Amino acid sequence: MNKLSARQIYFFLAFVAPVGKLVVLPARLAEYAGNDLWIPAAVQFLLQAAIVFCVLLLAKRNMSLFELLENTFGKAVAGIAVLLFGLFLLYAGLLPILEQKLFVQGVFYDTLPSLLAFTPFFLFAAYLCSKPLSSYGRVFDLLAPIAAAGLAGVLLFSAANADYGAVLPVGASGAEGLLRGTAYSFSWFFDSVLLLFFLGKFEYKKGMAWKGALCYLGGGAAVVFFLIVFYGIFEGTAINQLFAFTKTSKYFSGFTVLGRVDYLFIFALSLVMAFYCALPLSGAIESCVQVFGRRKYLPTLLAVGIGVLYFVFTWLFDYRFGDVMSAVSQKAFWVFPVFTVLLPALCLLLKRRRSHDRP
Amino acid sequence: MKITGTLRKDLAALKKILPAEDILTFDFESEAGLAFTAVFADPITDKELLGEQVIRPLLRYEGAPTAEEVGKKLTSPEKRTETDLAKLSEEVLAGNPVLLFEGMDEAIIVGTKKVFVRAVAEPSTDVAVKGPREGFIEDVKINTSLVRRRLKTPELKIEFLNVGRRSKTYVAVCYLDGTSVQKTVDDIKKKLQEIDIDIIPDSSYLTHFLSSRPYSLLKQIGTTEKPDIFCAKIAEGRVGILVDGSPIALTAPYLLVEDFQSSEDYFVPPYRATFTRILRLLSLLVAIYLPAFYIAAQLFKLQLFPIKLLLTISGSIRDIPFSPSLEMLLVLFVLEVLNEASIRMPKYVGMALSVVGALVLGETAVSAGFVSTPAIIIIAFSGIGLYAVPNLIEQTSVLRLIMLLVAGSVGTYGIILVTAFLLLYLVTAENFGAPVLAPFSPVVGKDLKDSLIKYNLGSLPTRPQTIGSKNKRRLKHE
Repeated sequence: MNKLSARQIYFFLAFVAPVGKLVVLPARLAEYAGNDLWIPAAVQFLLQAAIVFCVLLLAKRNMSLFELLENTFGKAVAGIAVLLFGLFLLYAGLLPILEQKLFVQGVFYDTLPSLLAFTPFFLFAAYLCSKPLSSYGRVFDLLAPIAAAGLAGVLLFSAANADYGAVLPVGASGAEGLLRGTAYSFSWFFDSVLLLFFLGKFEYKKGMAWKGALCYLGGGAAVVFFLIVFYGIFEGTAINQLFAFTKTSKYFSGFTVLGRVDYLFIFALSLVMAFYCALPLSGAIESCVQVFGRRKYLPTLLAVGIGVLYFVFTWLFDYRFGDVMSAVSQKAFWVFPVFTVLLPALCLLLKRRRSHDRP
Repeated sequence: MKITGTLRKDLAALKKILPAEDILTFDFESEAGLAFTAVFADPITDKELLGEQVIRPLLRYEGAPTAEEVGKKLTSPEKRTETDLAKLSEEVLAGNPVLLFEGMDEAIIVGTKKVFVRAVAEPSTDVAVKGPREGFIEDVKINTSLVRRRLKTPELKIEFLNVGRRSKTYVAVCYLDGTSVQKTVDDIKKKLQEIDIDIIPDSSYLTHFLSSRPYSLLKQIGTTEKPDIFCAKIAEGRVGILVDGSPIALTAPYLLVEDFQSSEDYFVPPYRATFTRILRLLSLLVAIYLPAFYIAAQLFKLQLFPIKLLLTISGSIRDIPFSPSLEMLLVLFVLEVLNEASIRMPKYVGMALSVVGALVLGETAVSAGFVSTPAIIIIAFSGIGLYAVPNLIEQTSVLRLIMLLVAGSVGTYGIILVTAFLLLYLVTAENFGAPVLAPFSPVVGKDLKDSLIKYNLGSLPTRPQTIGSKNKRRLKHE
């Protein structure tokens, strides 16, 4: 359990990472880019795939993020930089958790339940985060078929009901729409930073960089197809359809006889999402572990602390999701490309050999 | 304390250690005038064998008074010498008589233990329609013979250990030398030797000491009552443990997928085996989740029911005085009580119990309006589903209750989170170095061929990689 395999990394990129993009993002993209909603998403996936390629190339050096930075800048700067990445993940994790909370309250209950219904998530997140990041490898092995089945099931029930002509003509939203869609969707694409924290926990295999990028693009292609189906079903009303993946399949004609069997697939995706939402938190804890060392109770204490922090935040902003989303994804959108694109790409410029390896 | 060679003194010392009234002595003299005393535990020594194989040959003994010469005259195939009085007393208590004689500082232990055993029969908990019907019994020696009969190889090692301060229970550690992982063998022996408990009445006691997470809800050591399964597991590289007094053998490392496999799967066509394995998994999932989802749907999300079913259910539950979760808990409680009572009750009362359970409690409770028909159907279905995987009943029945409580309080999302907890717990669990959830997590491609799906025997040339055996290949030529 100490190391992840290449397959587990591919599973994360292809099956787990796309799940976080199916809840609120489709409606937001429809708002910014209209029928071209799939284009900003495709751009983001291409951009992230390129960064995934770079990060996986870094894995050749067989060093953790902290070791990579320490090798070039020394311990102090490396510590500060890694903690900054950790803080960024805490920040980036806010939106998925609030999304998840809204999703749970909206989809799992007929009437709006209190926040307490969502509280057990923080217990789970704390338990998950107290485990070393390397244990995610087996989690990805298990989640990959669940996510694949979930997404395939949802698409199966939805695809036939979509009017694919709705996404035509391509480019109707204009350059402004596409740019706004791309810029404001950065906050949903931070998978490269998550991957940064897995550095040193898996060994580079030949061709892993392009295979990983392809896996990410494969998952992205499924999301893009889902976005097209989503817009093909809802068209003008798409912007009001939060929790997109729970909505697209409900018009399947067989449900009158079968009941909402699509909920089985929605539950499967929700299970994957519970793990995905806790990933940034685990990354933040890993940043502390890399800087301060794996002391006995440090991960558990941090996990509990972060769990409590997030709970308080969720409680405070219980009815202010819109404000938080506009602050994170629109007003301060630039934070994301800096941390998810620029800095990971710059990491390629870090020294290749360990300082003490040099003759 | 050692034997002195003075018969009276040695006998007195032995009687001091063993003052019990059922420890008897028999004094006799050979024709040459050499005095012998046989010390034995009356109820557990075969006195007929003692007379035939020990006393009768020695009555005519005329040789030298040495243990070696005397031993040659005995017709018992099982004999050895010992000088330590404490060890001799242990042998007497185990049913093996001790022969003391004048002038020798060694005693002879003779293996004429009286063994009370039931016949080797089909185990009631692990029934197979096709395949061997034999099951382990309570005698460890007969159990080892059942294993030896199936694995006629010198590589099969059976090492005996005594566990339990007072019970001195024989525990046999069985493994295939060169196939089993030596580290696992050593770990198991070390853990067994470190056990400091007074008695070991059953093999289940050992599971607590062998488990890396002894307080875990989930199973950590494999169990079987069938020698064919036991041998197959040993042949895959696992280590088997047989305990005297217990018909249930233990195997380690344990993988969760083992409990979805049955011996019969290997005697029927692979497509049938695959079908039944998937059926077992689905039954288990239904057993755990169906009552919980029913409650969660009723309380929090009615959309989960198809409209016609919803109408039927709403008609049934309209006049029920309890909340859905309380109703379901009540029916589950009745089922568990009936289950417990039917196991403990004498068989002749069983029929009456079935009538009371099914008719009086079931029919009458529904017609009286205490519980609804759907609740009874769901719990009955769940109860049946539980028995599709009999080795996991203890765990799944608790999980079902947890799910039910969570569903009643948090709803479907609670069920999903408990499932996430459970999966996380399982993926991080290891058992003697083997991941419990393998070959699914981590994915072990070759082992998947004999997991929930079952390939043809010809497609399974290697032992499971998860176990970590160095001797990988089991099928030489295909």
